[in-house]
Amino acid sequence: MSATEVLWWIFAGIIVITSLGVVFSRSVIHSAIFLIASLAGVGAMYVFLTVEFLALVQFLVYGGAVTVLVLLALMLTRMGAGGNVERANGPQAPIGLIVAGSLAAILVAVSVSTAWPGDTGKTTPILIGTISDRLFVDFGAPFVIASVLLLVALIGAIILARQEDE
Amino acid sequence: MVPLENYLVLSAIIFSLGVYGVLARRNAVLVLMGVELMLNAVSLNFIAFSAYLDPDRIIGAVFAVFIITVAAAEVGLALAIVIRLYRNRSTSNVDEAASLKW
Repeated sequence: MSATEVLWWIFAGIIVITSLGVVFSRSVIHSAIFLIASLAGVGAMYVFLTVEFLALVQFLVYGGAVTVLVLLALMLTRMGAGGNVERANGPQAPIGLIVAGSLAAILVAVSVSTAWPGDTGKTTPILIGTISDRLFVDFGAPFVIASVLLLVALIGAIILARQEDE
Repeated sequence: MVPLENYLVLSAIIFSLGVYGVLARRNAVLVLMGVELMLNAVSLNFIAFSAYLDPDRIIGAVFAVFIITVAAAEVGLALAIVIRLYRNRSTSNVDEAASLKW
């Protein structure tokens, strides 16, 4: 087993353990911190897949921006120090466990048993230049639409969360 | 070299954990965290496919860029809704916000 594979298994273990922490942790703040580690681990997986550009985007957008947003929302919506601590899981949790477990079984069985056509058996490095060619030349219109979507969504978020003077 | 199936199994596990988080949690922010896990599993899958199966056209990597964009928009909007809900109802429990009106 090569050093890359050992590192891969270490990172895969980190991702699975921290994702378990996100969904099973009792404290919401602990969940958010596990989420940061899990997203960063997926970013490391992008490095293994030789897509360094998307790895950096992952660290910046998810590790930085999204988790800060989540932590701020937790700060703003939690009970005070004397407030009662809510139970994290609803009564439907065991059913959710069954659904998620069977979904995992199906997905794992399918992905292991399928012979993927065109599987090269190794990763081919994806350069930033190739991604930008693809993104700006072939997917130019969806790119512009996505930026408009982001703008509209964030203006809507500001309008929704704004404090009204009454 | 790590085979493609390893990435697929890893992303299936992350996705299922996200599904469990969405189904079982009551706090709206925790539900959102489950959605984030699912989106991440999907983009990991896309990028693995594009690196192993489609290295010339890399459509998967382009899709991952769009997933990250839409996920950023989605999380911003959803957290604004959660903050609004908390201000009006003093709760961020999704079971208590089932009437779909303020």
